[in-house]
Amino acid sequence: MSEHLLSIEGLHAGYDGVAVVRDLNLFVDAGEVVALLGPNGAGKTTTLMTISGMVQRLAGSVAIDGQTVPRLRQAHKVRRWGVLHVPENRGILFQLTVRENLELAKTSGKVDIDIALEFFPALGPLMNRKGGLLSGGEQQMLALGRAIAAEPKLLMVDEMSLGLAPKIYEDLMPVVRRVADETNAGVLLVEQHVDLALEVADRGYVLSHGDLALSGTAAELLADRHVLDASYLGVESLED
Amino acid sequence: MTLGDRSRAETVALFGLGAVLLVWIIGALVDSSVYFQPILFGLGTGAIIAAIALGLVVAYRASGVINFGHGAIATYITYVYVSLTDTGEYPVPPLPNPVAPIEAIFNVEIFDLPTMIDLGDAMGTGMAVIISLATAALLGLIAHYAIFRPLRYAPVLAKVVASVGIMLFLQAAVVLRFGARAKSADPIFPNDPVDFLGVRVNQDRFWLLGTVAVVTLVLWLLFRYTRFGIATRASAENERFTTLLGFNADYQAGVSWVLSTVLAGMMGILVAPVTGVTPNLFTVLLISSLAAALLGKMSSFVVAAAAGMALGILDQQLFRIEFEWEWLPDIGIRRALPFIAVALAMVIRGEALPSRGAVIAARLPAAFAPRITRWRVTGYVLLVAASFVVSVFAPFQFRGAMVNSMIGVVFALSLVVVTGYLGQISLMQMALAGIGAFAVGSFGTAAGMPMLIAMPLALVCGVLFGLVASLPSLRTRGASLAVVTLASGLAIEEIFFKRSGWFGLDRTNKSSDPPEILGIEFGPSSDFFLGDGKIPTGGFGIFVLVITVISCVAVMRLRRSRLGEQMLAVRANERAAAAAGVNVAAIKLTAFGISSLFAALGGVLTAYKLGTYSGALFGIFASLTILAFAYLGGISTVGGAVTAGTLFTEGIGVVITNEWFVDVGPYTAYVAGFFLIATAVYNNEGIDGFQRKQFHHVVNWARAKRGLGPLDELAPTAVEVADV
Repeated sequence: MSEHLLSIEGLHAGYDGVAVVRDLNLFVDAGEVVALLGPNGAGKTTTLMTISGMVQRLAGSVAIDGQTVPRLRQAHKVRRWGVLHVPENRGILFQLTVRENLELAKTSGKVDIDIALEFFPALGPLMNRKGGLLSGGEQQMLALGRAIAAEPKLLMVDEMSLGLAPKIYEDLMPVVRRVADETNAGVLLVEQHVDLALEVADRGYVLSHGDLALSGTAAELLADRHVLDASYLGVESLED
Repeated sequence: MTLGDRSRAETVALFGLGAVLLVWIIGALVDSSVYFQPILFGLGTGAIIAAIALGLVVAYRASGVINFGHGAIATYITYVYVSLTDTGEYPVPPLPNPVAPIEAIFNVEIFDLPTMIDLGDAMGTGMAVIISLATAALLGLIAHYAIFRPLRYAPVLAKVVASVGIMLFLQAAVVLRFGARAKSADPIFPNDPVDFLGVRVNQDRFWLLGTVAVVTLVLWLLFRYTRFGIATRASAENERFTTLLGFNADYQAGVSWVLSTVLAGMMGILVAPVTGVTPNLFTVLLISSLAAALLGKMSSFVVAAAAGMALGILDQQLFRIEFEWEWLPDIGIRRALPFIAVALAMVIRGEALPSRGAVIAARLPAAFAPRITRWRVTGYVLLVAASFVVSVFAPFQFRGAMVNSMIGVVFALSLVVVTGYLGQISLMQMALAGIGAFAVGSFGTAAGMPMLIAMPLALVCGVLFGLVASLPSLRTRGASLAVVTLASGLAIEEIFFKRSGWFGLDRTNKSSDPPEILGIEFGPSSDFFLGDGKIPTGGFGIFVLVITVISCVAVMRLRRSRLGEQMLAVRANERAAAAAGVNVAAIKLTAFGISSLFAALGGVLTAYKLGTYSGALFGIFASLTILAFAYLGGISTVGGAVTAGTLFTEGIGVVITNEWFVDVGPYTAYVAGFFLIATAVYNNEGIDGFQRKQFHHVVNWARAKRGLGPLDELAPTAVEVADV
């Protein structure tokens, strides 16, 4: 059996022993874009945080390439498994220049800044500008550019569209698809904009109040649009 | 390099340069044949100040701590080095002997812990340097892993207190092992004098200058260009983000700490031959270094080093000016130089220091206001009654200790108001106390006013000084404010307590007549109808007790008043408080005013207790020690202040231990420093909060046994539940 790039089984995640996400099963294959959808408070960000080790797993297993990621006390070690997580607030270091931000894509070895520039040529003239002086769109480009330069096996992007103009994230979204196609990385995308996400995604999972409400290929999810909507509004409305 | 924007760094550099030039030109007018002499002589001091400033910047970048213990670390390592080169002995910090209680009970000697490990004959320089610097690295690791890593998310206050603890602990360790006498060290750099620009100067100054320049350059390159440096700066900004990128922020901080302490040790060793070594040498210079580091915004090595050198040179130049122009009024400007530099740094660099983007910021200890119950009032009355009995009828040494403790309570109360309630760190409380003490001497004894006029006037003076000195608090907060208040305290000490004049010394000391109310004297040596008549007499005990009780009740009422609530609002969040209609500036000044009042009151009581006193009592170390005791007792409650009083130097707790158990006298500062660190790291509510919690556990456990729910008052508050 071919192993998934990321496979999560029976994951319980939460804070102070209280599970916010319960019994989640999910997988991402290499070269695939998977959307993790759901209303506010569904547990999407918590799921990503748990995969990257920032939040302690309560139960369940996370495996990369079939190898179980142990529960780590130190979150920075998860990066060694090829996981790169672009957090909700983008993770740009405001005091550092764009070049220095990109330099942090890898903890050791040379960072190929050209990879980032290939995807986002607009970063070129901004190299010596401080991260804090970039516009929201430029910051998101820098965050994605750094993530791509990190050459991850699994790229997790949290709420790329947050605080950005529609024009900008509509341009950014296809880049995620390109990353999966060109670098064969698996991408796990958390998104509020369902249509936008499913346009680039192969498959999707819908969380509702911490439970997996729905999953399927992007086409299936879009076809059963009313079911998808219902899962946003609550399970009860499904029964009508 | 986080120089802010470039224009700002240039402004600072120009300012510094301008100041140096100005003073230099004045100096040249004094004696044109020695243009360069002050500069060359100032190089030595300047190099030390710059070196300490560099270490401070590294430590700040490592863990967002302004390390008040940095000078003490340098001193400790220097002493280790001197000991190794002198005798080949390696000092062991005093450790508690596990068999000491058995020895004490059976009055036998089982074994002693070693104080020195003999490593053979006096050691060569190279080996001694290696061992000393290894010790420095170890200190850095301990500082990081045992103290500042657990304090990562702690409020600034806890970090400041912990670093003050390091200072007290290491300084006490040095005194315990080596005594307070100055030592000399063998030079490492050649120090033959050379002629340079017509001035004869020891050439080791140039070596020092070169070393500082090289170190600055290396640090700059390290933090500017290496991935380690970039990642460390990144972690300082946001640890969470760098963790997601796979960097171990903890490791970076540890390395930076080691870098900082090794730098401190290295500079101490290099500088020791130039200056000689005394236990508090580097701590005194620390204020100048703090000023230099602040000018570099705690992040720029180049600016910090340059400012440090400039301060050293300015100091020499002012020294010359004072020396040459004897007709100049002696206003202590040279000694106030660090203060002026800090003030300047605050004006130019008014914006907040770059703070570490911590994941969670922990709260300050709870300012618990107990419900007034019959039981509690009974307890208070019993405590006061017991204090009365001890103050009047106990043997004289206990009476003296009781007085010391009660004065300590008043000092601690001044910090409860400003730090516990308002959340601002003040390191100048003893200077304000000194103003009270010197003013009461000036008004009461020198001007002959009766006590009932002189004492309130002295308190007014204390409040006025406190208000002026607290003006920076309107613009700065946290660790920067701590530095400003420390510098203010130093300036007050240097300008007022070390010279004669109004508010100054009478000649070599200051004296005050005993307090007198309606013709009855209440001084420590005044006759009193109760007690055995030895000094201090019961009258003084009653006098101090009454004032202390009034102070405690006043602060308790303050906590419950609207004003107290507003202070707590400012403490919690200045912006939110302002948004809720609290006049933040007014509340801050009011709190500082009240706090100064209690500080001055403590000073006045000290003046009455001693009759004759000097400024040494009211120095910056006394201020730091007071903060230490207040925090140890519990910084945010009146109960904490009372606990602090019992622990106070020569206080009732210490005297009881000495009289009935073992003589801890010489170890007081050492033990206090240790427990201060432990309290800051592991129990930020102090002894008072700790025992209150234990008591609540017991009460609620007993209630649960009887099938009752926990008492409302004793249950954790909503806030506590929310951020568990």
